[in-house]
Amino acid sequence: MLKLASTALGLSLLAVSAHAQSPIRIGVPIGLSGANSVVAPSVVQAAELAVAEINAKGGVLGRPLTLDVADDGSGAAGAQRAFDSLVFQKKVDVLISMETSAARNAGLPIVTRGKTPFIYTSSYEGHSCNRYMFVDAWVPEQQEAPVIDYFLKEKGAKTFFLIGSDYAFGRGMLSYAKQYIEAHGGKVVGDEYQPMDAGDWTAIISKVRSASPDALILSTAGGVPNVTLTKQYRAAGITVPVGNLGVDEGTAKTMGEDATGVYVSSSYFTSVDSPANKTFLAAMRAKFSDGLLTPNDLSVPQYEAIYLYKAAVERADGTAVDGVTKALAEVSFDGPRGRIQMNKQRHAPLTMYLGQVQPDGSVKILQTAKDVDPGEQCPNLK
Amino acid sequence: MSLLLDIVTTAAILYVVALGLLIVFGVMGIISFAHGAMLTVGGYAALLVTWAGWNPWASLPAAVLAGLLAGAAMEWAVLRPLYRRPLDAILATWGLGIVIGQVITLAFGRQVQFAQSPLSGAATVLGATYSQYRLLLVVVAVLLAGTIALVLHGTRLGLVTRAVIANENLAQSLGVNSARVRFASFGLGSALASLAGALVVPLSSVDPNMGVPWLVGAFMLVLLSGSSLVAMAAAALVLGAAQVLVSTYLNAVLGGMTVAVLAAVILRVRPAGFARA
Repeated sequence: MLKLASTALGLSLLAVSAHAQSPIRIGVPIGLSGANSVVAPSVVQAAELAVAEINAKGGVLGRPLTLDVADDGSGAAGAQRAFDSLVFQKKVDVLISMETSAARNAGLPIVTRGKTPFIYTSSYEGHSCNRYMFVDAWVPEQQEAPVIDYFLKEKGAKTFFLIGSDYAFGRGMLSYAKQYIEAHGGKVVGDEYQPMDAGDWTAIISKVRSASPDALILSTAGGVPNVTLTKQYRAAGITVPVGNLGVDEGTAKTMGEDATGVYVSSSYFTSVDSPANKTFLAAMRAKFSDGLLTPNDLSVPQYEAIYLYKAAVERADGTAVDGVTKALAEVSFDGPRGRIQMNKQRHAPLTMYLGQVQPDGSVKILQTAKDVDPGEQCPNLK
Repeated sequence: MSLLLDIVTTAAILYVVALGLLIVFGVMGIISFAHGAMLTVGGYAALLVTWAGWNPWASLPAAVLAGLLAGAAMEWAVLRPLYRRPLDAILATWGLGIVIGQVITLAFGRQVQFAQSPLSGAATVLGATYSQYRLLLVVVAVLLAGTIALVLHGTRLGLVTRAVIANENLAQSLGVNSARVRFASFGLGSALASLAGALVVPLSSVDPNMGVPWLVGAFMLVLLSGSSLVAMAAAALVLGAAQVLVSTYLNAVLGGMTVAVLAAVILRVRPAGFARA
């Protein structure tokens, strides 16, 4: 009898401690298939490292973190399913993820309905506003100015030709570029768009040649269009300075000599020389060894966002949505990209780097701009 | 001047990409939906050559070999039992295309990869600076078309093949082994598709879907030209010119649609397309 009672006591104690230890669930809707499938696995790796590090140090308020990764197919239909199942079935405490603009826009109504905090960790075209959403990656105001300023001042460029993919990101980036160039004394002599899956740039390259601009600005979808355009303008013998707004460091590296000399702008390069970045890279190598995918400008914000969420939960002393969304704007985290705080209308000032791809594939950082402001992103959001 | 070069080189690329499909369609009467996958096979053959550190020109024979083997295996294992059921055979090629794509994804991953280009840089032609590689493709297209015409019209294999194209039942009753002709032509068609895949690598990216953007143009060309090499040259020039002109003077988004729309219009007005009806 005594033994039975003690077993029962033990069981109930166990239940109590299990309750106190119930995990905080982080939903990660992400494009494991489709257009984002090239970069998504590196983002998941970054999230896994953050969760493992935090859990090894005792979790958040004594509770461990768990990840629920759901494939959104990189598009709107898949995102609806992924957000729906994460928010309403798995009942995650927060959504933290890098996604295409189409997927984000499809998921936001579900975020609103489910009243779930959402940290969006992808650079994007800007001005997406929702009271539950925070963004810790760059918008055009932060990314484009360094490249265009450099071309105007250092390269003496006066005329620009813009080429992009025909979708929200490509159009959004280049319409900002056009506005910025014309506001700073440059002239846009042409802007051309192609469908996202297009691989033949013949006519556009001929137009570039006849317009003979001083510089090219490219903003295509990542992967295929970026690669085909780069190869084809190179083969056509175009040698003016090129700023590629849509290429990640990993792709630039694998492109080899075709990408040599291209200017890129980013809030993160693996070559960022800071102790926090060195620690981060060493931890990534230790955790994933041979399977490590190059950390990049999309995966590092994911890593930092999980730490930002941790800080917000600790400040709010719980995962309740109102407390967390209030705290998310107040907390900061010192990560591989420096100090990140999402206090500018739910966006974050970021240190931006202007880099140039070197013949050996590495990116040489030419200029660093500290804490570039995201500008007016969501002025009407309370 | 560069407009003219754009048109001629675009037509040459269309022609090279569609040639394998034309051979298969001519002999077997089916449009092979595995054509895009065979282009991809050629791209990866070029990638393997780069990895092995060989001369980039070696990617061309490597692609021919890979395409020949893959095509022969597909014909022998899957298509042969479906000779009398052409619609099922078309569906089967579609399935084969998916299988090849997935096998490539499993083996090489989804990401975009890079194979070395045999020729890069620009040359000056008649006062215009132009991509050397695109100019080379014009020469390649002419050489390939000439070789195939010679084979079809100057060898016994060609004679037999033309007999099967003209009337398969009659050829069989005269003692022609039409199954062997089909086997040879599917293998040859696949080898040409794979070669085209390796040839477009310097303009394209190497990824498991690299064949897809080229498919529509190739299908339209073959529909317009029946089984004639000459008709296809005419169709390639007309469609290539239309695409370049629309992209240049209107915009590139419309240019991308031009080939499909124009082909549909031509077929509506003249069902035989560019082939002599």
